[in-house]
Amino acid sequence: MKIQNSNLSRLRILIITGGLLLWFLLIFGRLVELQVFKHEELKNEAIEQNRYIREIWPTRGTIRDSQGKILARSLPVPSLFLARVNGEDKDTLLERIASLQALLPLSPREVQRIKNRIDQGDRFIWIKRKISWEELERVKQAKIPGIFAQRESKRFYPLGPHLAHVLGGVDIDDLGLGGIEYKYNEYLQGKKGRVLFRRDALRRKYDFQVIEPSVPGRDLYLTIDSNIQYIAERELERAVLNNQASWGTIIVSNPTTGEILAMASFPDYDPNNFPPADPAAQINRAIQENFEPGSALKIILAAAALELKPESFEEVFDCSTGHFSLGGLVIRDYKKFSLLSFPEIFIHSSNVGAIQIALELGPDNLYSWLKRFGFGEKTGIDLPGEEDGIFRPPQSWTIHSLPHLAIGYEISVTAIQLLQAINIIANDGLLLPLRLLKAFACSEGLEVLPSPAPVRRLSSQVAREIAEKILAKVVESGTGKAAALAGFQAAGKTGTAQKYDPFLKSYNSTKHRSLFVGFVPVDKPAISMVVVLDEPKAGRYYGGEIAAPVFREVARRVLLYLGLTPQFSPDKIILASSSKTRSQNKP
Amino acid sequence: MIKKKLSKTEILFVVLSLTVALSCLTFYVWYQTELIRLGLENQKAQETIKQLEEEIKSLEAQRSSLLSPERVEKIAREYLQLTEPNSNQLIYEEWLAEVKK
Repeated sequence: MKIQNSNLSRLRILIITGGLLLWFLLIFGRLVELQVFKHEELKNEAIEQNRYIREIWPTRGTIRDSQGKILARSLPVPSLFLARVNGEDKDTLLERIASLQALLPLSPREVQRIKNRIDQGDRFIWIKRKISWEELERVKQAKIPGIFAQRESKRFYPLGPHLAHVLGGVDIDDLGLGGIEYKYNEYLQGKKGRVLFRRDALRRKYDFQVIEPSVPGRDLYLTIDSNIQYIAERELERAVLNNQASWGTIIVSNPTTGEILAMASFPDYDPNNFPPADPAAQINRAIQENFEPGSALKIILAAAALELKPESFEEVFDCSTGHFSLGGLVIRDYKKFSLLSFPEIFIHSSNVGAIQIALELGPDNLYSWLKRFGFGEKTGIDLPGEEDGIFRPPQSWTIHSLPHLAIGYEISVTAIQLLQAINIIANDGLLLPLRLLKAFACSEGLEVLPSPAPVRRLSSQVAREIAEKILAKVVESGTGKAAALAGFQAAGKTGTAQKYDPFLKSYNSTKHRSLFVGFVPVDKPAISMVVVLDEPKAGRYYGGEIAAPVFREVARRVLLYLGLTPQFSPDKIILASSSKTRSQNKP
Repeated sequence: MIKKKLSKTEILFVVLSLTVALSCLTFYVWYQTELIRLGLENQKAQETIKQLEEEIKSLEAQRSSLLSPERVEKIAREYLQLTEPNSNQLIYEEWLAEVKK
């Protein structure tokens, strides 16, 4: 009996031990399956559950003027999207969109786009990007299921339409599409980064690890002074409207550094709503408009003549006929002159005299000197879309080309090319490339870009002679009297050109372009400027009548702003040469 | 079957071992919880910093907008009734020096 009991106990122990062993084996097997065979898959699932990687978009760099004032900055804004959950039918989603329409200004086009995306079965649909925080609050309060917000950044231009053509604009993804925004997009946009977030069981982020740091865009400092820009824009708008012109442009620069202080074009647009509804408003007339400069080009004629034949200055020319004829071409002076000295030809802007000088120079000389002043090629200003101008080589000229070129026809230039040319005169014959970018912001403060090396284009003596004995006299007693400033000696040249009519296939005597290009003060130029007004329709159209006064008004206010002491007191006492400008170089 | 009685030292050892093990476990759990709590607080602080930085940026842009030359001129002309000085109202130090001569 005892033996039987003992066997039974042993059997039971064996069964229990076997059962336990089997149980352990099963568990062990399962563990091997989970830990060995499904290791990678399960590890990834676990990682997925408690951590996630997010792309970090860098903040686009800020654009500032030379005084540090913000011109463009990216600020955070919410964007709304619809997240579709499995099983949600189309009608439910459309109902949500309908209820959103009462809270958000959604255009019929936007609604149609959302409906199309719903029809396509998309799970993620943008409702409206870059809305205001107030709009988001309204949507949040409505508690519409499936509608979520995501943080993005929006470009903000605090000065509105001011400097629009220089700044350009960005698209919905903050990528530069025009102006400085496009030109320096590479520096402004920065570099995307990646961050690993860890989450707890409630999916709250409690830790993060930067896998790849995002590099914020670099801040840029422009050479533009927003106060000078404002002065130029205000006077330009006034001039365009008063003279009923089609468009106008003003560029102000510091001729001794090549820095652009202001670049205004009218009509303008608000870069906060880029691109503008009217594409014409987007054209930067300062660099993207080719036009025949008329008499303003005579400056280069004078420079070439004096450089090649210095004794020209003493010559006298017979302009008494009042007109010049060649092969059916008749060019007239605006009034009859008698004998005119070399400087008088330019002071009074005699076409007949200018043609005589051009004929003495010859086509090759005139061509090479116009090229020397940079016509027919880009100035290299750091803005996209600059025009070259149109300037054909002498091989394709006709017998009319030389007299035409002498008075600024058969050549198309841009306003910035004219400014560059006058800067050569103002800067004693040295060409300093024009530029808009002054400095980059860096960790140590500012990385100021070095000034480009000047290139001699004209002898210093000829440049001074043209400035003091011709261009200053144009303003003092010639066609540019309206540009004269109280207290300062200014220099400049007027220009009036008839516009070519492609329908008439000839120049239209009722359509003109008026301009003035000059600098002030003559002895130590602080600013140079070009003013162009297209198709004035209010009666007056001569550059000396409508563009020169704009030069005077802008120059007067800018010199006052820069704190320059006038060279002459009200009693006409000649004072010391102009004092230093106010902290112009401080970015 | 005779049960062996555990000595006091043995009991003390077991109790101490259990206490140490429990303490370690408690400390570990506390450590982990604290780590997560601090992580959450840190995250919150980071978000606050970011938010404040964005607010500063926004305010700077707003300041730039408020100080736009157009707005300043409008206030000066319309609200403060200021006008531009005439050339005879401007006196330069250099002029005074010239007059003294």
